[in-house]
Amino acid sequence: MTNEALIRDLRDALGDAHVLHLPEDLIAYEYDATIERARPDAVVFPGSTADVSAAVRIANEHDVPVVPRGSGTGLAGGAVPVLGGVVVAMTRMRRIVELNAANRIAVVEPGVINLDLQAACEPHGLRYAPDPSSQRICTIGGNVGTNAGGPHTLAHGSTVNHVLGVEVVLADGTATWLGGRQADVPGPDLRGVFCGSEGTLGIVTQICVALTPLPHEVRTMLAIFDSVEAASEAVSAIISGGVVPVAVEMLDQEIIRIVEPQMHVGYPLDAGAVLLLEVEGLPEAVAADAASVVAACEEAGARELRVAESAEEREGLWEGRKGGIGAIGASSPNFYILDGVVPRTRLPEVMSQVNALADEYGFRCANIFHAGDGNLHPNIMFNELDEGATERVLELGGEIMRVCVEAGGSITGEHGIGLEKRSYMEWIFSDADLDSMERLRLGFGAGERFNPCKVLPTGHGCASGHAAEMRGHLATPGVYI
Amino acid sequence: MTSGTVDLSEALPADGRRAAPDYPIDGAAPQIAQQPRTREEIANLLASATEAGLAVVPQGNRTALDLGRPIDRYDVALDMRGLDGIVDYEPADMTVQVEAGMTLRALRAHLAEHGQYLPADPPPGDDVTIGGLLATARPGAWRGHMPAARDLVIGMEVALADGSLVRSGGRVVKNVSGYDLHRLHTGALGTLGVIVEASFKLVPLPPATRSFAVRRPSVRDAARLAIELRDAALPTRALSVVAPEAAARLGLPDDAHVLLELAGYESALEAATSRVRDVTEHSGGGLDDAPPGAWDLLRDLAGSPDGVVLRLGVPATRIAATIEAARGLRGTAWGHLAAGSVVIHAPAIDVTSVRVLRRNVEAEGGFLVVESGPPALRAVIDPLGTATRDLVGALKRQFDPTGTLSPGRWEVGL
Ligand SMILES: Cc1cc2nc3c(=O)[nH]c(=O)nc-3n(C[C@H](O)[C@H](O)[C@H](O)COP(=O)(O)OP(=O)(O)OC[C@H]3O[C@@H](n4cnc5c(N)ncnc54)[C@H](O)[C@@H]3O)c2cc1C
Ligand SMILES: Cc1cc2nc3c(=O)[nH]c(=O)nc-3n(C[C@H](O)[C@H](O)[C@H](O)COP(=O)(O)OP(=O)(O)OC[C@H]3O[C@@H](n4cnc5c(N)ncnc54)[C@H](O)[C@@H]3O)c2cc1C
Repeated sequence: MTNEALIRDLRDALGDAHVLHLPEDLIAYEYDATIERARPDAVVFPGSTADVSAAVRIANEHDVPVVPRGSGTGLAGGAVPVLGGVVVAMTRMRRIVELNAANRIAVVEPGVINLDLQAACEPHGLRYAPDPSSQRICTIGGNVGTNAGGPHTLAHGSTVNHVLGVEVVLADGTATWLGGRQADVPGPDLRGVFCGSEGTLGIVTQICVALTPLPHEVRTMLAIFDSVEAASEAVSAIISGGVVPVAVEMLDQEIIRIVEPQMHVGYPLDAGAVLLLEVEGLPEAVAADAASVVAACEEAGARELRVAESAEEREGLWEGRKGGIGAIGASSPNFYILDGVVPRTRLPEVMSQVNALADEYGFRCANIFHAGDGNLHPNIMFNELDEGATERVLELGGEIMRVCVEAGGSITGEHGIGLEKRSYMEWIFSDADLDSMERLRLGFGAGERFNPCKVLPTGHGCASGHAAEMRGHLATPGVYI
Repeated sequence: MTSGTVDLSEALPADGRRAAPDYPIDGAAPQIAQQPRTREEIANLLASATEAGLAVVPQGNRTALDLGRPIDRYDVALDMRGLDGIVDYEPADMTVQVEAGMTLRALRAHLAEHGQYLPADPPPGDDVTIGGLLATARPGAWRGHMPAARDLVIGMEVALADGSLVRSGGRVVKNVSGYDLHRLHTGALGTLGVIVEASFKLVPLPPATRSFAVRRPSVRDAARLAIELRDAALPTRALSVVAPEAAARLGLPDDAHVLLELAGYESALEAATSRVRDVTEHSGGGLDDAPPGAWDLLRDLAGSPDGVVLRLGVPATRIAATIEAARGLRGTAWGHLAAGSVVIHAPAIDVTSVRVLRRNVEAEGGFLVVESGPPALRAVIDPLGTATRDLVGALKRQFDPTGTLSPGRWEVGL
């Protein structure tokens, strides 16, 4: 059987210990943080770039798909082996190869956990800025794959803005560097276009990132509002007032009532919405920025403003934000995390529409999101055992995405297209646009067998139609951290 | 130098015709020069040229057309300056959508009315077009302190060689829908498509700025001080090490200098200034205000049309050594600390010296670009030193299979 020959070749090349192929071992690699499932033929754990090249070449020889994978926290099904094949899991390559404080760069392997890199930087007074809420478990390679953002993306940008270069193994098994150890390498920005390509153009085997100094002073504030609309107005007012805080995160009443009883971080249970605001820099600038942010909030009708007085208090406020999604998992049998983005001035009306739609469909919806970027995350709670609930949730999700698109926005701000949103691509891109994206894929030599059925709505042998794909996003409790 | 004598005049509106001799590149004039006013005209022009097998070179303000290898063929000059409007500007969203032929200067003026700006300071100045700025994507002194233009592009419309008009990204500040093709066209020198329009996220204009020059006995000393200033947590927008020859051109004494620009609230600048004073006095003094226009003069120098301009990507800790090497070649040199770039301007540099410089920086993971220089040098040296030649070639064959757009920029036939 081909399968046996494939396994044998992989084991010969990578060593028996680094190849999984028994059904019971493969289960954990059938899905990511979505529940779309598909069984791979094998999972390999390369220890070097050469191992990755070997695995890719062997998969090619056996004509089976290759699917790159980090920690599997992705929320778009990007690491799901839809058509089987070899899952290349990068978790064994987790060395910080170099941390050069004088030149403010680090070179890491793709399996390094985001928070571990942060921790390694801190003693040098430096940080790696991108901080997705999943940073305790997601990998830097996965972050490059999805161009991950986080609460501090507002001021610091997303992953692509901090990656100087990536070593990648292309679909034919050859390894090459895109970008390098310096910014602004001449030629087309291949490094930039690779970031966020969701494992469809190659496998990242090493990453050179830029580090930035830790801020002198950080001020974290909690602004309390009676309604989501008032809080949304405040977001617009803050941004247009000429101050860009490093973070502007919103939590609505629904999520506060889920988070606070579980985590006790100090969010007021009777608030309609809160904004978690952060400014940083030199003391004088922090004071001035904070004053301007406070004024904008008060003008928009903030009921109360609290400033975190201690590091513990600040961490508590963030703990609640970062653990928010997990808390939903503990309080609803199922929930569906949406990711949409709109121009930030449109937030007030879009939030009203989102909540009205959820009411209309009769689902609880908790909003916890990157308001400063206009990046919404409505979480729709439901029980899949209820007759027809799943279908209605999917339909609601689609309607909310429509609202975002009609407001001049887009269908994903940070989680990606993956498997889930391929069919929505046509809402925002023309055939010619999609064709030019296909040219990129072909230019990288990534054919039908390289992470198939992801990002582009085309592709042979891929199931299509919303329900088949969207089922992937019906997260179950326990899938999260 | 030209491919044939096909006449495109039928396909092109007469009022957009321009005098071809006004569009020389490396001394050669095209057959036709056209300044379209709409994106459809651009698409038509490209489709017709591709069909006729003609080579088209998109151009903005024509300040960097000698960047890259001399092109193989040049039939049509596509002058982008006819598309120079703002399509949409939402000050409250801090995003702007502009046509590619608009100059940075004109855009800056619009945005300043709302207290915002696009923090790009490319050489040789603000007369560059937005299309040229992105197609060349070179860093200035702000790079590393401010996000680069390439990092602020959130969407783009591009005309491909076959005449299709395609978009990527959008108008929102955070977006991972589909491939970020706008990044591919950034730095591509117009060889994969013609940038027709771009959307940017913007940043607030700083309320105040202040620039200093610190005189130092040697380049090494200046570089050491620059690293101390970098590590002193200042609201820095630019921090550069300037060799004596370059300092003299800026109106400073003929000595090594550190140039520093702070940007922020007036009150914050007060406090930061005293910190700068502490740091400099601690290590030998020499602090003064920078002469007026120093930064602009530095940009002019990088854009100077004579001689050879090199840009080297090097780590901060190698800036002094790189500047010293340049001085050995009778070059005028300076380096931007955060960008990790050293610019060298010299009346002439021989091929061997360029190769040695390149080998040395590449050994440290850096790179060397010949930004400007005589065609003879650029034909033999591989001005861009692109490491990913195979991939660029494969992409070129996908996006421009007929070689319509600036053929030869990367290598003969590519
Ligand atoms: C609770 C929770 C909170 C989250 N919060 C955020 C957030 O704030 N911001 C955010 O952006 N995302 C967030 N996410 C989504 C997710 O964590 C990110 O997308 C993350 O970047 C995925 O990393 P991973 O290592 O788990 O990658 P995976 O899920 O394994 O893979 C993600 C994608 O990247 C590709 N990939 C993985 N490794 C490589 C590699 N080495 N080379 C090439 N491609 C590769 C995969 O093929 C796949 O398409 C959250 C997820 C959860 C569960
Ligand atoms: C001597 C000198 C050296 C320079 N060196 C560099 C350098 O190394 N790197 C760098 O980035 N900048 C360099 N610049 C400076 C600079 O940033 C450019 O001047 C500017 O970005 C180009 O703008 P422009 O409108 O004059 O473009 P042009 O000079 O007209 O065109 C520059 C390049 O961009 C292409 N182009 C122009 N418009 C478009 C469009 N709409 N779509 C697609 N392609 C287009 C052209 O084909 C050409 O390859 C240099 C300038 C000078 C004078």
